[in-house]
Amino acid sequence: MKAIVSAPLLSAANVDAGYGHVRVLEDVSVDVRQGRIVVLVGRNGAGKSTLLRALSGLNRPTSGRITFDGRDITTARPNGIVDAGLLHVAEGRRLFRRQSVADNIELGRYGLRLTEQEHGRRVAHIHELFPILQEKMNLPAGSLSGGQQQMLAIAQAMMREPKLLMLDEPSLGLAPVLVDQVLAAILALRAQGVAILLVEQMVERALEIADDAYVMQNGRVIASGLAADIAAGDALHAAFMGEHGAPHHSEPRQSQP
Amino acid sequence: MDIDVLAHGIVAGSLYALVAVSFNILYRPTNVFNFAQGELVMLGAMIFASLTSLAGMPWLVAFAATLITVGCIGLIEERIAVAPILARSQTGTGWVITTLATSLIISNFVGRFWGPDPILVKPPALLSMESLDILSSRISSYEIALILVTLVLVLIVERIYRTLKGKAVMAVAEDREAALLRGIDPGSLGRWSFFLGAAFAAMTGILASPVLYASTSLGPDLLLKGFAAAAVGSIGNNRGALIAGYVIGVTEAVGASLLSPGYQEAVIFIVVLAVLLLKPEGLFGSPNARTV
Amino acid sequence: MSRAVIPIAMQLAALAAALALPAFVGANSYALFVATQLGIYIIAAIGLNLLAGYAGQVSLGHAAFVAIGAYSVALLTVDHHWPFWAAAVVGMVLAAGLGVLAALPAFRLSTWYFAFITLAFALVFEKMIVEWRWLTKGFAGVVSVPPPSAFGYEFGPRPLYYTIVAVTVVAFILVRNVVHSRFGRAFVAVRDVEPAALAVGASPQRTKLVAFVISAALAGVAGAFFAVQKTVVTPDDFTADFSIFFLLTVVLGGLGTLWGPIIGALVFFLIPELLAGLQSWRMLIYGGMLLGLMLFAPHGLYGALRQAWRRMAPANPGANAAASEAREHPPIAGLALDITGLRKQFGGVQALDAVDLSVPAGSCCAIVGPNGSGKTTLLNLASGYYVPDAGSVKIGDVEALGSGAQKIAARGVGRTFQTPRLIADLTALDNVMLGAYTRERAGLLATALRLPSARAETRRLRQEALGFLQFVGVADRADVEAGEIPHGQQRLIEIARAMMGGARLILLDEPAAGLSMSELERLERLIMRICGLGATIVIVEHHLDLVANVASHVTVLDRGVVLAAGKPSAVFNDERVMRAYMGDRALKAGVPA
Repeated sequence: MKAIVSAPLLSAANVDAGYGHVRVLEDVSVDVRQGRIVVLVGRNGAGKSTLLRALSGLNRPTSGRITFDGRDITTARPNGIVDAGLLHVAEGRRLFRRQSVADNIELGRYGLRLTEQEHGRRVAHIHELFPILQEKMNLPAGSLSGGQQQMLAIAQAMMREPKLLMLDEPSLGLAPVLVDQVLAAILALRAQGVAILLVEQMVERALEIADDAYVMQNGRVIASGLAADIAAGDALHAAFMGEHGAPHHSEPRQSQP
Repeated sequence: MDIDVLAHGIVAGSLYALVAVSFNILYRPTNVFNFAQGELVMLGAMIFASLTSLAGMPWLVAFAATLITVGCIGLIEERIAVAPILARSQTGTGWVITTLATSLIISNFVGRFWGPDPILVKPPALLSMESLDILSSRISSYEIALILVTLVLVLIVERIYRTLKGKAVMAVAEDREAALLRGIDPGSLGRWSFFLGAAFAAMTGILASPVLYASTSLGPDLLLKGFAAAAVGSIGNNRGALIAGYVIGVTEAVGASLLSPGYQEAVIFIVVLAVLLLKPEGLFGSPNARTV
Repeated sequence: MSRAVIPIAMQLAALAAALALPAFVGANSYALFVATQLGIYIIAAIGLNLLAGYAGQVSLGHAAFVAIGAYSVALLTVDHHWPFWAAAVVGMVLAAGLGVLAALPAFRLSTWYFAFITLAFALVFEKMIVEWRWLTKGFAGVVSVPPPSAFGYEFGPRPLYYTIVAVTVVAFILVRNVVHSRFGRAFVAVRDVEPAALAVGASPQRTKLVAFVISAALAGVAGAFFAVQKTVVTPDDFTADFSIFFLLTVVLGGLGTLWGPIIGALVFFLIPELLAGLQSWRMLIYGGMLLGLMLFAPHGLYGALRQAWRRMAPANPGANAAASEAREHPPIAGLALDITGLRKQFGGVQALDAVDLSVPAGSCCAIVGPNGSGKTTLLNLASGYYVPDAGSVKIGDVEALGSGAQKIAARGVGRTFQTPRLIADLTALDNVMLGAYTRERAGLLATALRLPSARAETRRLRQEALGFLQFVGVADRADVEAGEIPHGQQRLIEIARAMMGGARLILLDEPAAGLSMSELERLERLIMRICGLGATIVIVEHHLDLVANVASHVTVLDRGVVLAAGKPSAVFNDERVMRAYMGDRALKAGVPA
C-alpha cells in the first residue's frame, strides 16, 4: 500500500491527562486521518474514555498537544472544539431525556446559523438514516429504547455535519440486530467522508469495520496499526486477558496509510 | 370568604409568582438560588421610583433604564460572587454565602443612598390606584392590570423556553456536561440567565412599587415569599410558581384577616413547611427519574 | 483534619490569659463586659461551625436559636422565678426542639433549602416575639433579668465571666470530641460524599439532624447567658444582622476548623473597636468581608495560618506506619445473597429483566458481561441505591427489598464503587474508621464526654482500622489525606472501609479498573484472603483473568438477562458467552481458566 502524505485530521501527541491527583493517561499519541474509522480498544479503566474527554475538551491534558484540522485545540473550550467539527457522543448516550426527540435533534445544531431549508435537509437526512426516529419525534427522549437512544445521540451530532465523530461505546447494552444498525450507520457516515474515532467493547465487530486501531492498557497505547493487523496480533489478547507483557507494537507506526 | 380578601391575595400572589419566576430563570442553567434576588427586586423599585418620581423621566424610558441597570448588576454578581465559586466546585454551596453577602451589600448600599423612607410611585398613564367597586370588591384598575400582566409575563417566559436558546438552558439544567458536548456553553447561558433573571426581578419591583411603595424593606419580604412560591410550585416550574404564588398570596391574606396581620409570615412559613414535608419536590414537580 | 496546628502550649496560654483577665480589669469594667460577651458569642459560633463547617448545613437564622434561649431564661426567671440553671436547660431544649421542627423538611432536600428555611424561621420568630406581647412584652422586652445564683450566692460580673469561660471550654471540648468521633466523620461524609455515607450505614438525614440539634442547643445555651449578662432582652437584640454576624464570625475564623470560631470571634471583637467611626457602614463591611473571605480564603484565618504553618514545618512522615505489624483477621461469617426475578427499567431501557443470582455464604461470585449489560445496576439494586420494579433480594435469608441503602449497609453489606468514593478531606485512617459507623456503640453523649467506654472503643477501633490498612497493604498511608492518595491505593482503602464495617457480604464494582499490573496482583491476593476468612464476595469485573482466579462461580449478564452461569472454566468456554463478550476471535484464542 502506498503511503499518502497528508497531515492527520486529528492528532494527539504525548498527551497526559487525569482527574485531580489521579493521572490516567500517560504519553498517549493517537492520529485519525480523514475519512477513516479508527477504533480504540482496551479494558475498562485503560483510559479510552478519558482520552475522548481530553480530545473534546472536557478534561484538559496536563501535557501534550492536540491538533484538529490544522488548529491547536489543546486548551480550546468544549464548545470551540464542537464548532471546529469534532463531535463526541459520550458513553451512555447522555441525551436530554426530559425533552422530546425533535428538541434533542434541534439542540444538535445549537449555535449554528442554518436556513430553514438547510435545517430541514439535515433533519430529513437523519430520518433517512434512522427512520424510526421520524415516528418518535414528539416523545420524550427518555422513553426511547436503548438502540433508539443511541441513534438519536448520533443524529444530534450529525446535525452539525462533523468532520470527525467520536463514539464512546455505541453498542452499550444493545441487541445484536441494533448493533448491526449502529455499525451500518457508522459505515454510512464514513462513506460521506466523516472520520470516526470509535471506543468499543465489541472488539471483534469494531475491528471488522475499522481501518486503524489502537490498543490501550493502563493509560498507555501498547499497540497501534491497521485494524486487520491488530486483530491478528497478540497485543489485543494481552490487553484483554491481562497477560503480563511489555508494550509492543504489532506494526510500525509509519505503516499507517 | 370575603371576595375582597381573595382579590388582594391574588394581587399579592401575582407579585410573589413573579419573584419566583425570576428565581427560576436564574436557577435553571446554574443550579444557584440567588439569595440577593429580593434586593434586586427592591433595587428595581428604587431606581425606577427615583427616575420617574424624582427625576421626572418618562415611564417607558425609566422602565428600560431600570431593567438594563439591574440586569447588569445581576451580571456583575454572577461574575464576582457566583462564577468563581462554581469554578471551584460545581456541587458546593459556597454560593449560598456569597449571594447572601451580595444581598447585604446591595441592601445596605441602597439604604445609605436612598434612606429608609418609602417613595410613592404612580401607576402608568390610564391606570390608577383608585378603588373600583367590581363585584363588591375594592380593587383598582392598576391591580387588575397587574394580575393580567403577570399572566402574560409567565406565558412569555414559558414561550422563551420553547426557543432553541431556552431548550439549551433546559439541556444544561438536565446534564451540564452533555450540553457542553453539543456545543452549548453553559457559562454564557449562566451569564445571560443572571442578566435576565435580575432584569425580571427589577421589573417585578417596578410592578410592585405602586402597590407596595418603593422602599428598602421590600427586599427580605419578597425574597422569602418568592422562595415560598418557588418551593411550593416546584423549583424551575414557572406555571407551578404562578399557582403557588396565588396560594401563598391568598393564604397570607386570609390568615391576616382571620388572625392578625402580624401572623402573615408565620402562616406562610407553616404552609411551606407542610408542603415540603409531604411533597419535598413541591406540588408541581416530579423527582428526577434517574440520578446515575 | 486531626493534625494539631495550634500547639498545646499556645492553647494553654490562651486559656490562662482568659482566666487571668479579671485580675487586671475592674469587676464593672467595660473590658470584662466585652470579654464575657465574647465568650457567649463563641459558644454559639462553635455550634454554628459544627453545623455549617463540618456538616455543610449553613444556618442563616442562628440569632433565632439564641433568642429562644434568651427569652426562655428571661421569662422563666422574671415572671416565674425559676432558678437560672433550670431555665437555661429549658432554653436549650426549646432551641433544639423548635429548630428541628422547622428544619425537618429541609434535611431531605438540597442544602440551600436549609439555609432558606432557617432564614425564614428567624424572620418569623422575630415577628412573633413582637406579636405575642402577652408573653414577650413586645418591643419593651423583658427587663431586670436576675443573675444566676448557686448555694444562695448571687453571681457578680466576675463569677459570671468565669462560668462563661468554663462553659466555653466545655463546649469546645465537647464539640472537638464529637468532631473526632464517628459522628464527625459522618458529618464530613454527608457533606462531601453522600453515597459513601450511605455505604457505611450513616443516614444523611439523621446525621444532619444530630449536627443541627447540637448546634441549636449550643445557641440556646449562649442565649441563656446572653439574657443574664445583658439583664434586658428585647426583639431588637435578635435581628437578621445578628445571624449574619455569627455566620461571618465562623467564616472569618475558618469554616470546618476547630479553632475557627474562636479566632473569628476574637478578631471580630477587635474590628468594631478599630472601625468605631464606621459604625453605620457595618453591614456593608460585613457583606464585603463575607464575599471576600469566601472568594479568597474559604478556610478563613485559621486556614491561612495552617497553610503558613505547613510551609514552615512540613508534616513528618507517618510515625505509626511501621509500628503495627501484619495481623491475621478473625474469621468472618459470610452472608448469602439470593436474588430472584429482579427487574428494573429506566425510561425505555430495560436494564435488568428477571435476573436470578444465588451466592452461597462464604463464596466468591463474579458477575461479568459487556458494558451496559446491567452489572452495576444489579449491584445498586442489591445494596439499596435503586428500587427495583419487581423481584426479590434476600440477604442472609432476610428480604432486603424496600430497605434504604444505609439500612442494608448496617445489616453487614459493604460495597465499593467504580470510582473510589473516599472522603478527600479525611485521612486514610479516618476513612477506614468511618466504615465502623454502625458498629460503634458509644452514643453521642458518651462520645462528647469521652467517657472511658467511648475512649476505649475509639482506641480499639483505631487499632482495628490500622490493622485493616495493614491487611490491604497501605498502612504507610494512614495519616495521608485520601484526596492525595493514588487511585490504586484508594481502591484498597475503600475495601478496608467495607471490611471495617463488619461487612459479611462485600460487593466490589470493577475493582481492577485502572490498576497497574502489580496493583492487580495485590488486589487478587487480597480478594482471595478476604474470601478465605469466610466473607461472601460479589465482584463485578471485566478482567477475566482476575475473575477466573478468584471466583468459584460466574454469572454472565447480557443486556439485562442472565446469559450463562456456572464454574468459570465452563462459562468462559461457553461459545455464546465468548461471542457476547469479545466476539468470535476470543473463541479461537481461548481463555485462561
